[in-house]
Amino acid sequence: MDNTLKFARTKATGVLLLGLLLSSAVMYCQSEAPIPVMTGSVGYFTKVTEGQVQNIPSIDSLLLVPIGDKWLIEAKSDFSHTWGNQQGGGEYGSSSSYGLAYAQVDYIANRYMTVVAGRFIQPFGIYTERLAPNWIRSLQATPLTVPITSGSALGGMLRGGFPLGTTKINFDYAVYFSANNTNHILATDRSTGGRIGFFVPALRLEVGASFEQLLQEDRSHYVGGHLVWQPYSVPLTVRAEVVRSSGFYGNGYWIEGAYRLSQVPQLRRLELVGRAQQFFAARVSPTASSDVLDSVGKDTNQADFGINYYLRSDLRIATSYGRHFSLNDNSNQWVVGLTYRFVMPLGPKGSPR
Amino acid sequence: MKVRTLNSLVLVAFAMIGLAVASAWATTPKKSTPAPAVAAAATSSSGAAQDDTMRLEGEKRFRANCARCHAAPPKFPPRMMGTIVRHMRVRSLITDEEMRLILRYMTE
Ligand code: HEC
Repeated sequence: MDNTLKFARTKATGVLLLGLLLSSAVMYCQSEAPIPVMTGSVGYFTKVTEGQVQNIPSIDSLLLVPIGDKWLIEAKSDFSHTWGNQQGGGEYGSSSSYGLAYAQVDYIANRYMTVVAGRFIQPFGIYTERLAPNWIRSLQATPLTVPITSGSALGGMLRGGFPLGTTKINFDYAVYFSANNTNHILATDRSTGGRIGFFVPALRLEVGASFEQLLQEDRSHYVGGHLVWQPYSVPLTVRAEVVRSSGFYGNGYWIEGAYRLSQVPQLRRLELVGRAQQFFAARVSPTASSDVLDSVGKDTNQADFGINYYLRSDLRIATSYGRHFSLNDNSNQWVVGLTYRFVMPLGPKGSPR
Repeated sequence: MKVRTLNSLVLVAFAMIGLAVASAWATTPKKSTPAPAVAAAATSSSGAAQDDTMRLEGEKRFRANCARCHAAPPKFPPRMMGTIVRHMRVRSLITDEEMRLILRYMTE
């Protein structure tokens, strides 16, 4: 074949490909299919704990890529930087933390089940999966039970929600398995567990239970219960969680009430929050290994009060005061800050019908 | 080590939450009556009424679900809304039917 012919062929193929690409791009632009979205939040907090001042700017970003009708890819990373003085007003220092919160593929198999694979948040209780993002949580201080059960999993999960028969109750479930992974920022434990919940839309009441079994180290297990109630008659949200663990992690519970003053015209952007919690350290023999003794917490009571001011649904000023009571360690924490949640389209976003 | 008693501030927090719950309990209507508009639309067979029913159902599902975890979000353009509602379906385990009704309501 002579060179001119070869060139003409390549050119023709090129033009064809370009045409195909362009026409599918045009089709994509005109279709109503969901587009990739970049979302996340930025926050800036100042925390004062017993004379120690910390400034904490943070940014979380989450990329959502829908594919076809049934697939969704989610990837989220966190970054925060802390700078401040040492306890008692000493030297200034700073540190950063970053991490891959999750990177998962979701496949909506049918109306009863979604299959999730990759790195995801363990489905336990309501805090880590739902309330943890700083633009969502009503109080910036995390509950004392959260370190026990929060964590990431690397593996697979089945989850779903559907109405129970003809009753007016929705049932939801999530079961997962996670492999052991020792890579330091991505570390996960070998574990299995799940959560079930019952939601009554007419009362906006949800109750549920969770379970987790560690399949390594001391093979401890955790059980939890949760409740969320949002009556229609008053702008109140009540949330509570209780966690019991075997092994040396301890038990605890928290209950939180958030009241939005939406019925008072001048104060409708204000939200008042209160939370009470108790943590009970596990009883371990004083001769246990130092590793075990170090991880045993202290019995603690804690009360937190907060005022949030919603400038918009995605932008708010958050302030709180918390007091922590445990043996030889009663302390106060003041927090004031700002959270902003963003949602950006990565493609033609369409216009309403 | 044990902190046996509840400290006064923790009790105050409990009392505040208790009070709020009691007020919610006291003001919750004991029997729910269906909104007349829904009932009217449901019995009529015209297309417009059908649309109205769908819209009201969508709004109802939105109210029941979308302010449970975070402040109720605004409407976003339709192709963003599709992604967001799919994400929330997976995250919050709303049902298939709710997802469709909410998506419809949020993209009108
Ligand atoms: C079970 C709790 C829960 C419910 C119910 C819920 N959301 Fe969310 N929503 C979340 C969480 C958690 C995030 C943040 C996800 C993250 O950053 O990891 C979020 C994020 C969002 C965002 C930001 C963009 C995104 O997709 O991340 C929007 C918008 C949103 N939700 C809208 C809705 C709508 C509309 C509904 C009703 C269908 C809803 N949410 C119901 C928990 C919930």
